[in-house]
Order: sequence, then C-alpha cells, then structure tokens
Amino acid sequence: MRTFERYLYRPVHPDEVLREFYFTRLAYSGHMYRGFAGSWSIDYPKADRQFMVGLKRLLDQLDAYDYDHALPATDPELFRFPFLYSVEVGYMALSPPEREALRRYLLAGGFWVIDDFWGSWEWANLERELSLLLPEYPIVDIPLDHPIFHCFYDVEEIIQVPNVGQGRYGGPTWEQDGFTPHVRGIFDEDGRLMVVINWNTDLGDAWEWAEDEWYPVRFSHYAYQMGVNFVVYAMSH
Amino acid sequence: MVGLFEFLFKYRPALFEEGRFTFVSPGWMQVAALLAGALLVIAAFTYRRLGAGTADRTAGADRLRWLPPVFRSLAIGVLVFCLLQPALVLSTVVPQETFVGVVVDDSRSMAMPDEAAAADGTRAGAVLEALSGESGSMLDRLAERFQVRLLAFGRSAERIESTEQLRFGRADSRIGEALVAASDELAGLPLSGLVLLSDGADSAPAELGDALLTLKAAGTPVYTVGVGRPRLRKDIEVSRVVAPRRVLEGSTVEVEVTLSQTGFGGRTVDLEVEDDGRIVNLEQVTFPRGGSAVTARVMFAANDEGAREFRFQVAGQPDEELLLNNERTALVEVLKRREKIFFFEGEPRDESKFLRRAVSQDENLHVVSMTRQAANKFYGMNFDEDTRRFEGFPTRREELFEYSGVILGSMEASFFTHDQMRMLVDFASQRGGGVLLLGGRRAFSEGGFAGTPLAELSPVVLYDRPADQGRPELMTDLRIDLTPQGRGHPATLLRDDREEANELWPTLPPLSAYQRATELKAGATALLQAESPMVRDPMIVLAHHRIGRGRAIAFTPHDSWHWQMSADIPLEDQTHERLWRQMLRWLVSYVPDRIEVEADRDRFEPGSTVTLRATVRDEAFQEVNRAQVVAAIEQPSGEEVEVPLDWSVERDGEFVGTFTARESGLYRVEVDARSEGELLGVATSRFAVDELNEELFGAARRDSVLKRIASETGGRQVGLGQADRLVEDLSVSSEGTLVREARDLWDMPILFLALVALLGGEWAVRRRLGMA
Repeated sequence: MRTFERYLYRPVHPDEVLREFYFTRLAYSGHMYRGFAGSWSIDYPKADRQFMVGLKRLLDQLDAYDYDHALPATDPELFRFPFLYSVEVGYMALSPPEREALRRYLLAGGFWVIDDFWGSWEWANLERELSLLLPEYPIVDIPLDHPIFHCFYDVEEIIQVPNVGQGRYGGPTWEQDGFTPHVRGIFDEDGRLMVVINWNTDLGDAWEWAEDEWYPVRFSHYAYQMGVNFVVYAMSH
Repeated sequence: MVGLFEFLFKYRPALFEEGRFTFVSPGWMQVAALLAGALLVIAAFTYRRLGAGTADRTAGADRLRWLPPVFRSLAIGVLVFCLLQPALVLSTVVPQETFVGVVVDDSRSMAMPDEAAAADGTRAGAVLEALSGESGSMLDRLAERFQVRLLAFGRSAERIESTEQLRFGRADSRIGEALVAASDELAGLPLSGLVLLSDGADSAPAELGDALLTLKAAGTPVYTVGVGRPRLRKDIEVSRVVAPRRVLEGSTVEVEVTLSQTGFGGRTVDLEVEDDGRIVNLEQVTFPRGGSAVTARVMFAANDEGAREFRFQVAGQPDEELLLNNERTALVEVLKRREKIFFFEGEPRDESKFLRRAVSQDENLHVVSMTRQAANKFYGMNFDEDTRRFEGFPTRREELFEYSGVILGSMEASFFTHDQMRMLVDFASQRGGGVLLLGGRRAFSEGGFAGTPLAELSPVVLYDRPADQGRPELMTDLRIDLTPQGRGHPATLLRDDREEANELWPTLPPLSAYQRATELKAGATALLQAESPMVRDPMIVLAHHRIGRGRAIAFTPHDSWHWQMSADIPLEDQTHERLWRQMLRWLVSYVPDRIEVEADRDRFEPGSTVTLRATVRDEAFQEVNRAQVVAAIEQPSGEEVEVPLDWSVERDGEFVGTFTARESGLYRVEVDARSEGELLGVATSRFAVDELNEELFGAARRDSVLKRIASETGGRQVGLGQADRLVEDLSVSSEGTLVREARDLWDMPILFLALVALLGGEWAVRRRLGMA
C-alpha cells in the first residue's frame, strides 16, 4: 500500500455522530495504478457520495453516513462496518494479512459487493483471489428469484451498465470480452450470501454520473435499484 | 407444669376443663356461713383486745397488726369450703359400653430407627411395645373400659384383629383420609374417640383440614400419640424441586432444588442431576451453619425431546439416618416445536440483522420480521404457510396473538395507533406473551414511549423527551457486567460453567446505547448493567418485569452485534448466538397456548385420582365456555381412555375432568377442543404414576400435624407411655354411653397446704408482735 494512498482514506472522525450504515469502500492492494491512486479508488469518492444521496432518499428510514468511507482490510475498525464495496478487482492483489482479515470479516458476518470489472482476464484474477480467500466456498450464479433481486425493488433482468464514456455516447455497453453481465455470489454453509459479484457491468459509474443528462437514465435507474437492494439485503440477511 | 397442677389439685387440668364444679352438701351453706361469721366475730374481738396490750408499739408493728385476723379468717374460709364437700362432676363412659378406635400408621416411615423407647429402636417397635407389650399395654388398659377396634392405615384405614397384622410397609400414609375412613367404619357405634398412633408423616395431596372438619362434624375426638423423634439427628433431604413442566428442546432448564438437613451444617455436598442415568449437572451445595435448608438453582440443557424424568439427588453421607429421601424426580416435557416470534423493526440496522442471524439455526424459534425501510414501506421476512401475512404492524388481535413473543426494535411510539399500542400491552398482560424492547435511537424515552400505553411495557423508568430535541446522544464505551440477580440467570449464562460465564461479561467488547436507563420500575429486576464515563449512575442493560400473565424485557444497547463481528472475537465464538438464543427462548418460555391441559401434579401414586384441567381460548385469546372438550389418555400399557371434560363454572374457559390412574408409568393426555363442531385446537400433556415415598420427606415426627389433629377434633396429644392418661381422657369424653360421676375435691393437697400456710403465717406474725 502506497503511503500517499492513506490520505484518501476517510475513517469516521471521532467527533462525527455514529450512524447505522456506512458505505465502506475496500482499499485493497493491487497490481498497478489506476485512477489517481490504486485501482480500488476508481470513481472514488464521487460515486460513493452520490450513491448515498440516492440511497438516503429511497431508504428514508436508513440512518446512513453521508460521505465516502474507505478502509483497508487490515484496519481492525473494518469489523464495525459490515457492508463493503470494491471495484476494479481485476487488478486486486491482496496481501496475506489483508486476505486473512477479509476472510475473518466475511465469515463473521460481513457483506462484500464487487463491481466494475470486465472480461475473462479480470475475472480470472478475481477468481484466483477468491480461491485464496475463501477456498472452501464456490462462486455461483445468483438466480433471479433470490431475495437480493426483490427485497426492495423487483429486479427481473440483469442489465449491462456501461461506463460513463460509452454510456454517454451510445457506444457498446461491454468492455474487453465482457459481453454478458453476471451477478454471481458466494454463499456460506448456512446459505447466507457473503459476496455479490457484479461482473461485466459498472454500477459505480451509473451512480456517479446519474445526474449527467447524457448518461442514459435506464442504466442509473437499474444501478440504484440494485444498489438499494444490496443495502437492504445486507441490513436484513 | 401439668404434673405440678395434678399434684396440687389432685386431677389434671383436662378433667377440670371437661367437668363441672359443684358442692355435694349445699344444704349446709347457711349453717356454714353462720358458723364462719361467728368465728370471724370472735377472732376480731379477741385480736382487738389483745392488740391493746401488745408490747411492740412501733409504726412497723402497727402495719402488721391487721394480718393475724386476716390469716385466721382465710383459714376458717378454707375449712368451711371443705365442709361443703366440693366436687368435680364428670361424664364418664360406662365400662365396656363404648368403643375406641385405635388407628395405627402402618406405613414405611414407621420403620425409621429413631425411637429410643423401643428395643429395636424403630418407631414400629415402639408402637408394638406400647400397644401390646407385656407391662400395662395400651390396648389392655383401653380394653378395661372400652370396646377396642384396631385399624391399620396407609392410604386408608382397614380393620385388623391384632397387632401381628401390622407390617409397616405401606408406601403411603394419608392421615386425614384414614381417620375419616376409621370414623366411618365405627359409625353407628357409641364412639368415645379415635386414638391415632403415627409419626405425623402425611403424604396426602389434599389439605388435612377437610378431613378434620368431617371428624369435627361427626363429633369424633382424635387422641394422637406421636412416635419418633421430632428432629432427626443426621439427615439430608431433597425437600422440594420446582421445575418447569415444559421447555423447548435445547433450552437451559432452570430448577430450584431445596435441600434440608439436620446435623450437616457447614457441610458441602454434591447435588447431581440425572437424565435417564446420565449426569447432566453437578452442583456443589454448602449447607449454612446456622440454618437448616438451602435452595440451589440448578441449570442444565434439555437436549432430548420427549417426557424426561430428571432426578435430583445427593449422595448419602456417613451416619445419615435416612437415605431414601435424598432424591426426587421432576417430569419435564421437552418439546420440539417452533415458537413464533414477531420482530418489528423501525429502521434497517445491523442489530436486527445479526439478531435474526443468531437464532436462524435454532429449529425451535421462528422469527418473523417486519422492517420499515422507508416511510410506509416494509420488508417482511420469514412468513410461511402457518403465519398470516400483513403489512406493517398487525391491526387485529388474531394476527398478533398467534405469536408467543414480540420484539420491538427502534420504532417510535407515534407510529402506532392507540389501539395497536393497547393491543401490544394486552399481548403481554392478557395473552401472556413475552415482549422484548430493544434499544435504539427511536426506542424507549427517545422514541416517545413515555405517556403512552407502551410505557407500561418498559421495566425501566421512562422520561418525557420532547420530539424537537433531535437525535439522542449515543453513550459509548459501555462495559457490561452482571448484576447480582443476573449471576446464574438462564438468559445470561453464556458458558456452560457458571463461574466462567460470570467472568466472561466484563471481557466482552464495549457497546453503546441511546437509552439513559438508570432507574428500574418497582417490581422490575435488572440482570445486566454497565458503567460509562458519560453517565453518573450505572446504566441498565438488561431488565425484566411481569405484566399480567406475561413479561416484558428491556435490552438497551443497540449494537450487541459487535460481539459477533469484532476483530477481537474468534470466528468460532458462539457468545452472540448463545445470548440471543437464550434471550428469545426465555422470552417465550411459560407463554400459554390457546388450548392447554395439565394434570394437577406431574407425579401420582398408583390408584390416585388425577384431575385434568384444560383451558380453552379462541384466536384472540378470549376464554371459550361453550366448547366440547375431550381428553384422550394413553396409559402406559398403550390402552386409551377418553375422559370428557366439563366447564368448571368457577373460571371462564376452564374445563375439568377426573381419571383414576392405576397403572404405573408415563401417561399422555391429548385434549381436543371443539366449538360447534369446529376444531379450536389440540393440546397435550404428560404425567407419571409411580411409588413416591412422599412420607419419607420431612420424616421426623411432625408434632404440628398431630397437635392440629388433636386440637381441631377436640382430642389431645399424649405420649407413648401415657396409657393411663389416655384412658382417663377417653373416659371423660362427652361421646359414647355415659354416666355422671362426682369426684371429691375437699382432699386436694392445695387446700391442706393453704390451711397450714395461713395458720403458720398467723402464728409467725403474732410472735413478731409479741402476742404469742
């Protein structure tokens, strides 16, 4: 982890009123720089803040923290925030201490939403990382009748959400060889969903550019529905 | 005292109570009065004359001068009293024309070796020697004046011809029933009374008073002769076991076991709990040095479904006199069923998520939840085909009352209608359900509960908090620990070992709470409390109180999930799961069902009459009187008997029927309640029939029982060696064929002593005055 990345973390200030929900972004170690820091910080912090604006409006009973909130896996405080969000995991390379902490976090009851990574190469990287993280649990497709698609909004179809550039200009919705979007997951032995993997889709960009008049509303609409469902599911299952 | 009275007054006080005082020569009254008057005048005149010539003229002598005439006058009075022939008129029985029933306790407790008067040291030996021993036996003495009928009793009294038929081996001794049976047996005969020889051990389930009233009404006095020592020298007894009749499978069963002892003060003994021969708990109990009894709270897991007989026993101690009273059993039905709990949550939060997760693997708990996600948008979970669906909070009693427990999360009071709040209070007070109030920023005072019906539910005192005060302050860093009442409570027992569990609490990660709960309501009990630098007084963390038939529990922290998800808690740690599993099981324990049936006890002697009591309620838990209720009783042999239960009239919804249980073993009762042909519900229950040896508990001679029998029937308590006194008492009884008899009183030693004292006094005073 590079030193200057630490300045990007937004731990909760001690004087801040504690909330029930924090949209916590995982600041993981990675192969290379993307964005202005590691690949974990893609779309950060605007996507996170903008999602919180929509989330608080849609779930008006949720006592949620308004701002972005990023923590590394090795921070013991991470256990106080059972919802975790990650992007660009195609470039993720967890260190052994991160892996150990994240494994404990997930098995203890944490919920991890993975988003915005594309194609078979990036998938292979994530699959390798997850096989080291949770080797005993397989990655499976989450069927559309699963409560995560219906706990707040009824999502009947998985849509590919393009990045802002392709979305704005009406280009192809896919990147690399990621033509088909998938929502996959890892369940524990009791059937609890620990990890949700949004592959070949970029919900984060749809949240981040939802106010952009050129970004198609059907993508941001879908992205918010999925995001809200993830939060409701995480707070109830 | 009685002996001194008898020496002075010639007869025992009892005879004076029974008899009537009279003078045999009342015709002499006037002559005696004249004579006494004349003598008094002479005495007065003589003393007046003598007084003038007294040598001693001091003031002290003047004060004594009036004494001699008084002594003389009193002495004359005593003599006149004797001349009038005072007498005590008694109604005594005509010899051999009245009957006496001698009722002998033939039970096993009479074999106790604590009667020093007997050659073999047993109570039975003492009774046999007293009844038919060689020198002046009780039966012989009684037979001189009465027709004697000998009866032996266990459960009831039966005639026997001689003491040789006594076996002292009956398992039961029901004194009241036996005395009434004996009285009935001798009904129609002129009966002077019954003589009861017993240790007073009464194993009858019914109150003795009913039998005593019957005897009193029949005018049959009972003379009781106690055997045995009023206090055993060395004995330990499992006096009482209070156990729940039903628990959920896998629950921690809490049982109160009272151990009594004599001669073992300060001793520590092992109290074992056995389930089908397997020891499930071993508790060390130390007897207090001063007192005799100690109550131990024993907890163990009930993991096997079905009717379980748990045995509580203390190993026999060296020199202990009676070992058969060292154990008792309790029948506990371990149920495998899902108790339904409704969890109503006002906001999405991790506390409710982790709570539900903690109990999700518990097959005996079914938590249906309704969480408000947005204004008027709820997310319901775990509804199934057995539960009615509704949106938000139930509006009908039937919807809410189908649950055994309700968990109320962070939901402000203003959300509810007044009727809904009232219904929730009724859920606890009338339906008998459990309500768990969780802490949160919209709960308790912070949720505006004060001044609403919901305030009734809170075991902690609420304060009025105006809604415009904004977000309540969160108190952090709460270090939680047990209160004295919380130590060993089944809800707080987070480890199997009690000491380990007690030490665990302060080591758990600190929590936080919005509730400033520092004051308990009257009658409430706090089990957990916490210290915080933000509040002066200890914060109440877990408290409970009773509300009518049900109970309400308050758990004030809002983030107990940190005990599940913390960097400091190992993954395999089950503290959080165990806390909530126990808490919710506690919440729904003892919650009544719509249809219930119970036998009046859980264990009976063979041949006992078992009273079955069923309670029938409708879906809204209103009692139903117009129902057809039938109990199908499956006997140990497998044979089934149907017993119709009738409305008791005394209580709404209560149906009663009786059944005689002859077979030993386990019985199963299934009650089917219908109204106008429609099935209201079914309930089951179990009871056991076995030899109980109840009389071996409290095995020392029970003088209180014997005294009560004697005093309430007009008899007396006499000792084993007091056959003469017994005969005399029975002779002056007001029952039987009687004749009047006057007994002289003029020769009472008290009169002679009084005369000597008065004349001696007179002489002494006269000497003092120089008049002699």
